[in-house]
Amino acid sequence: MGGRFLAFVLAAATVALIVIGTVWPIPSAAAYAGITGPNTSYSTSTPEGAVDDLAHTIGQQNWGRAYSMLNNKSEFTQQQFINDIRGSYPGLRTYATLDTYEAQPLRATDNQAEVRLRLRWSTVVGTFLDTRDVQVVRNGDGWSPVWPLVKEQRVPPQVIPVNYLRWDVIYRGPGDDWGAQDVEAPHIRIVDMRPVQRAAGVAVLGEVLNEDVVPAFVSVKASLLRKDGSTLATEEAFDQISHLLLPKQVTPFLIMFPNAELSDVDSIHMDPTSNLIAASADPVVEIQNQKLSPAPYSVFSGDLSNQSGQIVNIAHVLATFYDQSGQLVWVGDQYIDRALQPQIPVPFSIPVPEDLARKVSSERAVVATYSNAAFQ
Amino acid sequence: MIRIACIFACILSATALPAPGQDASLDVPKSVVAGTAFSIPAAGSGKATLYIAGPDGVLKRDVQLGQPIAIAASDLDDAGHYIAVLASDSSSQTAQFDVIAANQPASISFLARPSRLPVDLQNGITGAVYVFDSYGNLITSPVPVNFELSVASAPAQTRTVVTNLGAAWTGMNSATKEGNAKFMAQAGNVSATRVIEQVPGEPCGLKMSAQKVGDKLNLVTEPLRDCGGNAVSDGTIVTFTETWDGGQTTVDVPLKRDIAQAEVPAHMGARLSVATGVVMGNEIRWEGKE
Amino acid sequence: MIRRILVLGTVLAASGAFAADQPSVQLEPTNLRGPRPLAKQTETAVVHDYLQAWQGMAAAMDQNRPDLLDQDFVGEAREKLAATIAEQTKLGVHVHYQDRTHDIKIVFYSPDGLSIQLVDLIEYDEQVLDHGKVVAVQPVHVRYVAVLTPTEVQWKVRILQSEPL
Repeated sequence: MGGRFLAFVLAAATVALIVIGTVWPIPSAAAYAGITGPNTSYSTSTPEGAVDDLAHTIGQQNWGRAYSMLNNKSEFTQQQFINDIRGSYPGLRTYATLDTYEAQPLRATDNQAEVRLRLRWSTVVGTFLDTRDVQVVRNGDGWSPVWPLVKEQRVPPQVIPVNYLRWDVIYRGPGDDWGAQDVEAPHIRIVDMRPVQRAAGVAVLGEVLNEDVVPAFVSVKASLLRKDGSTLATEEAFDQISHLLLPKQVTPFLIMFPNAELSDVDSIHMDPTSNLIAASADPVVEIQNQKLSPAPYSVFSGDLSNQSGQIVNIAHVLATFYDQSGQLVWVGDQYIDRALQPQIPVPFSIPVPEDLARKVSSERAVVATYSNAAFQ
Repeated sequence: MIRIACIFACILSATALPAPGQDASLDVPKSVVAGTAFSIPAAGSGKATLYIAGPDGVLKRDVQLGQPIAIAASDLDDAGHYIAVLASDSSSQTAQFDVIAANQPASISFLARPSRLPVDLQNGITGAVYVFDSYGNLITSPVPVNFELSVASAPAQTRTVVTNLGAAWTGMNSATKEGNAKFMAQAGNVSATRVIEQVPGEPCGLKMSAQKVGDKLNLVTEPLRDCGGNAVSDGTIVTFTETWDGGQTTVDVPLKRDIAQAEVPAHMGARLSVATGVVMGNEIRWEGKE
Repeated sequence: MIRRILVLGTVLAASGAFAADQPSVQLEPTNLRGPRPLAKQTETAVVHDYLQAWQGMAAAMDQNRPDLLDQDFVGEAREKLAATIAEQTKLGVHVHYQDRTHDIKIVFYSPDGLSIQLVDLIEYDEQVLDHGKVVAVQPVHVRYVAVLTPTEVQWKVRILQSEPL
């Protein structure tokens, strides 16, 4: 009897909780679950509710409504507000969708409050976090956010002369003309390689050099082999490599084998491949003010400065960390979510695992860039 | 049931195949050069059918026995092994013969590698040749093949190699000066030419200088050459690194018109270094002037 | 029932003595011309693909289906064999090939790695059929010269040519 009653209570409680969660979901959970219909309502009677409402509206990309909710909209235009969130030039932000958000109250008085808004955006290369401390002011019966607009620097209109260097390739083309010569694939070489055991699995780190005088599109595949020679796993350095290598350029790579154990591995077979590719030597990106902050919260940071006249839509920083003997310790990377305008520095920061950061003595960074004239 | 089927099949099979004793030998030349005419004597009288079959060709013709059967030059031009059958209602004559490739080269497949290599590499260039007659048959009898590698700045390298089963190969050295080389293979009157790009080797003696321009340092390399004095290709990446207390700046710049150039912030006491690939250049400590 | 026996009998008669027996294969030690060493894996793959090409060719000639050549042949060899099949189809002729023994020796590996030449002393039976009627069966003993070239996943026969012993 007692057991039946308990089962009934549990079932009733479960149903009740489901109903409550469905009818009154917490905002971030609703956004996460995709329950973001126009009927979802947020109370602006509290500072946190007002920021929730704003974040939700931004997630819906309802820019008109989001802008109208702002208390300081007289200070900037709706387009400037959109540019602040999505970028003036096409970049990762432009095509990102809001994954989740959190609104955390920092302080509050009767008429003014401050709420930390963390917007987690989802892109094809992962997520990035945009954190804003939003002032919220009382507006009649409700509250209204004051958007902390970060005005994007713009390069004044000008002509930047570029001594343009580019390689174009004419391939042999289709057809079976055996014996006819084709252009040689670029010669590349793995100059360093090291496996590292991490909690998530085995990471194979290394560096590849383009030894040739032509640009190369490179990929690196690795196979972990057991003692009996059989293959344990095969993985590729998907985007943790700079695929385009100009002559004599070096890129780090990191190949992750999830759930693998280094103790099971007898040897590693590396399979680097290269293809000749049409490429441009520009844009040149300078990496300024590189610094590695000490452990425990070690971060490799710096600024990217686009030295060319061309806008870089997506920049990807890859950093290689070495110990005192020059041996590879770790490879980290970060995508820059905003387009790089000429001469305007954009910061980056790559976290380094604490245990490895203590071993790091020097570091080296390279930038892979993606520019698409079709975006502009 | 299966046993009955097998017995039945064996009976059918036995009746379908001509008894070996009934076959007589057909008088066909043992070997014929591809694309040449020949004739097969056909004794007897009445009508018969001639079959010539092999992986490289098949022929079927109604013939009148008692007259020689003419095989035209265009009938059999693919080298290979054939069986010939002259079948009439009463008898069957068979023979085997070979069609062999003509000795005169008409085309060659020239596999030259690589299309691009550094200067001054011993046996770095290889060429392999397969020689064919005018019907695309591999000429398996020995044929001399001349290989020649010529560059503008040096005498040509030549080799003569005799084919073995239709194939010949050679190795050549790349020149000490950069530039395109013509690699030619010739067999009889046919030749094929490939272009081999000889490119500069590793940079030698990488050196840079620094000059203050405003609040920046202008870093410029000397014209970059390999150890043979060849200008290193434009586009080659040169890495400038500036290290100072608490910071570092790096910039990868492509070589343009033999030099690489970059601007970095001017930090007093900074250490400036330059490298390309695995080749290191000089180092400068910036103390206000070089 | 009698019809089933007849059908089975006809099928068996058509295949006749040409049951798909596995040929015996002997691989001679390689004595290569050229500077490029031949890895054991490559040697095994080349011999495997060459023998498979014989099976493919036999099936294509037997069924008059040139598409069966695509798996194992490329270039000149494929074109010549396909032309033979087209002619066979036109004339109503089929040819069955059943390889019995192969004695294979790899003789040349081009320095670029783009071709391997082998010599095969082969014995096979050749059966010529005209509109399904057997007109001749002949045992053949001949020497084949084959050149194979690598493709994405396997070696394919580019030149297949017999020559007098």
